[in-house]
Amino acid sequence: MSITKAITWARLKSPWVLHFNSGACNGCDIEVVALLTPRYDVERFGIKLEPSPRHADVLLTTGCVTRQCTTRLKRIYDQMPEPKFVVAIGACACSGGVFKGNYTVEGGVDKVVPVNAYIPGCPPKPEAIIDGVVKLLNSLKEAKPNDKK
Amino acid sequence: MGEAVQIKLAHLGIASIQVAAESVRDIVEIMLETDPNLGISAITGLDLGENIGVMYHFRLNQKLATLISEVPKSNPRIQSITDVIPGANFHERELFDLFGVTIDGHPSPGRLVLPEDWPVDLFPLRKDAKIDNLPAQGESSTEKIASAPEIEGTLVNLVVGPQHPALLEPEKFSLKVDGEIVRAVEPRIGYVHRGVEKAAETRTYLQDVYLVERICGICNSCHATCFVEAVEKILGTQVPPRGKYLRTIILELNRLHSHLLLLGHAGLEIGYETLFQYMWRDREPIMDMTELITGNRVIASSIAVGGVRRDLKETDISKIKLEMEKLRKRMDFYQNLYDKEPSLKMRTQNVGVLSKEDAFKLCVVGPVARASGVSMDVRKDDPYEAYGEIPFKLITRNEGDTYARLLVRLDEITESINIIDYALEHLPTGPFRIRAPRVVPAGEALNRVEAPRGELLHYIRSNGTAYPERVKVRTPTFANLPSFLKTAIGGTIADVPANFVSLDPCFSCTDR
Amino acid sequence: MHRQVGLKMAVDLYFFFRVLVFPGFTFILFFTFFCDWVERKIEARMQNRVGPAVAGPAGILQPLADFMKLLTKEEIVPKNAKRFVFKFAPVFSFSILVFAVSLLPIDGSSAIPGVSFQGDLIFIMGLVTVANFLLFLSGWASSNPYGSIGAARVLTQFLGYDIPLFLLALAPAFLAGTLSIATIAASQYLPYIILAPWAFVLFVITLQAELEKDPFDIPHAESEVVGGLETEYCGGKLAFLHLTRDVQIVFGAALVVELFLGGPYGPVFFGPPALWYTIWFVLKLLAVVLLSEYLTCLFARLRIDQIVTANWKFLVPLSVLALALTAALAVWIYPMPV
Repeated sequence: MSITKAITWARLKSPWVLHFNSGACNGCDIEVVALLTPRYDVERFGIKLEPSPRHADVLLTTGCVTRQCTTRLKRIYDQMPEPKFVVAIGACACSGGVFKGNYTVEGGVDKVVPVNAYIPGCPPKPEAIIDGVVKLLNSLKEAKPNDKK
Repeated sequence: MGEAVQIKLAHLGIASIQVAAESVRDIVEIMLETDPNLGISAITGLDLGENIGVMYHFRLNQKLATLISEVPKSNPRIQSITDVIPGANFHERELFDLFGVTIDGHPSPGRLVLPEDWPVDLFPLRKDAKIDNLPAQGESSTEKIASAPEIEGTLVNLVVGPQHPALLEPEKFSLKVDGEIVRAVEPRIGYVHRGVEKAAETRTYLQDVYLVERICGICNSCHATCFVEAVEKILGTQVPPRGKYLRTIILELNRLHSHLLLLGHAGLEIGYETLFQYMWRDREPIMDMTELITGNRVIASSIAVGGVRRDLKETDISKIKLEMEKLRKRMDFYQNLYDKEPSLKMRTQNVGVLSKEDAFKLCVVGPVARASGVSMDVRKDDPYEAYGEIPFKLITRNEGDTYARLLVRLDEITESINIIDYALEHLPTGPFRIRAPRVVPAGEALNRVEAPRGELLHYIRSNGTAYPERVKVRTPTFANLPSFLKTAIGGTIADVPANFVSLDPCFSCTDR
Repeated sequence: MHRQVGLKMAVDLYFFFRVLVFPGFTFILFFTFFCDWVERKIEARMQNRVGPAVAGPAGILQPLADFMKLLTKEEIVPKNAKRFVFKFAPVFSFSILVFAVSLLPIDGSSAIPGVSFQGDLIFIMGLVTVANFLLFLSGWASSNPYGSIGAARVLTQFLGYDIPLFLLALAPAFLAGTLSIATIAASQYLPYIILAPWAFVLFVITLQAELEKDPFDIPHAESEVVGGLETEYCGGKLAFLHLTRDVQIVFGAALVVELFLGGPYGPVFFGPPALWYTIWFVLKLLAVVLLSEYLTCLFARLRIDQIVTANWKFLVPLSVLALALTAALAVWIYPMPV
């Protein structure tokens, strides 16, 4: 087993997440928190909810980006160490949802930070969120080892 | 006095009086003599062309009474009532933020929900506000992002948020601490302000139901119900009895999931992760029941003008009854836990005490008020849907601390289970929805429901077109937040999360 | 002469094998990963969940995956941090703790052979205090408000609880009549948990506080201090901070095993005694980890002032009483059989 294969294995089996709400209605957030509870239990996949951006690999964002949150979101993304990924959860995070065009709404998360996975839904069921995260992890497996991501 | 001009009875006997702006303050003082527990429910601003209308919705003996006045746009000023009714603080600030009405004598004027770098003379809820060419969001936000605790005098400024594991939502609190004791709290909200009230004016009534639901994912059915009931008041539509009962069941399931969510979250805040896991595990069947009835786990989208969208099948009724039975038994376990567990009691008893007097002065609503001995509940004071026919207990406690606030919600869970069981037993037959007219005539309506967090108020003004003229939403956390600013003072930093979570704060509701 | 050189090389090789592989560094490292996995599984099962299940069979490679992943992350040092302390305090802390563990008899004798001496109980407790102090320094060096508060809390807690811990550790010393851990472990004709159960109970409670686990886990209270002293750390340094915490738990449990449960000694059925001693040591240690984790899951977190009060008002006086009682019994009722 080569070193890069071992590193990829470790990264796949231990994705630590940080959850940030940049203007959501809480619907997606409670589904994300429900992932930790006994019915869905994502700790099986090694996913841990971390408190600090410095500890996390994956940023789970929910909600459209409001004007007030733009700099905060960017700053949190910058604080995370590489390799890092962003998952936009919910219709609002993907594109702004029902709030698109409102006077304080910038739009979806990809207006501020690069997004690796979009999970649509309003809110997406926890099964859909797990499916999205697993797809992201599988895409890592196929990535070449010298990719920056 | 001598300035009262006309008494106008708006819909359903909610009294409203039109007065001149200068006499508002005097009338409020007279009203306070009649009812010392006078509370302010909301302050609505209206763009009436040349004037800006200011409507004060009071709770007079737990019923709504409205004071309407107008100020000219050329010189929009009105006197503050915050010194006699402290609970009006945030409402007046919001009036300034969104309409530009200067409040004379306000103790702490300033932006509330709009971002820091918003242009100073742009008031979005005015009809003539030009909000298309906003300056781009720059990196230079005037708000400092704290990187080290600043020290003012002997007080250290500890910033909590906007990204913080305790807070599910982004909002910022600056705690001025002296060692471990909190001396003052300054909130900065508005991170989730999405401009819902303005957006509602450019969408049809049908689209607005979907918009208003998404103000808050947790109490979504309550927002939908409140809005739809207000529209039905203008239309004069009567919802058939089966529709009312079905709406009541959906609303009570909403209350169940919200309270279980909060009690589990409270466990997480005080370091009791096991309690959090158990309560959220027991919450999952409620989500299943909601999905069974409405088709969606979280945002139900089942309340429509005229009734509910889907009927309840006989087979579903027995499934719901079974789950309610199981939940009732689990509640015995949790009652026992809350009664006996010493580490839980040590963290929550005598923490963040809100006296009954303060509860009235700060105009708090919902379980926060009921835990301080105030018996207010819209389901009893102003029955709506099927609540007038269903017997249930109003849960109050007297201690006013965090423990009492959590216990009130725990007992309300059992009451909600009783309500659902009763509603299922006595479910009337017949249609569950009637076709309502598509066009909403000109008129206005004020409606309130009891959301899990407290009294939720919607005001709709229609001008006969396809789009509403004004939609005002006053959420319970907006009313309850000032009480946290008071109860946190004098406690330790360690008490702040427990105290805060017992408020059941929902900032997507507050900011809209 | 060749035979002498060969003999010396064999002795050296044996020494290095013991220190570096078994029961030394490698064994301790992998045993720490194993204990981390055990803890996470117990916590998950207590909370009606499954816990890590995908990395390796039954998720047993999860801690290893976490460690490797952290090592390969980008290293960030904040601008205002005190660079040297920030970078090296975690590793030093970890090394000191591993050194402390390697002084304990694991398979009948310690990893660094032949170093037990009179008073090494005190020496080891001193080492742990130094390691904890280095943890405090790492939080302080990160110049982040949450890091500083977390570090201050760690300092308050371990300095306070060191006193009852030390007093209670002297109870088995009195029973055995010696201050050398190896001798205490060997002289338990009946495990001291039976002879002095009060000391055992108080020691386990104090250990919960030393290890910063619920109800005493306030330095890691996420809802108050974000990441505590770990907030600004990332990458390899964070990996070592986590390892330090896990090794502390192994060390604490090992100390309980040596002082109260009879150390690695137990019935030997066949083959070399070292094999059976290792097995008994591992089993006893896992029992202590299970007990500790069980207590963690049962309680909510106390506030810092409640923890400090609990220490000075209850634990310290009770430890003094426990020690006095044990000392009295040691002389009158349980004198060591000669």
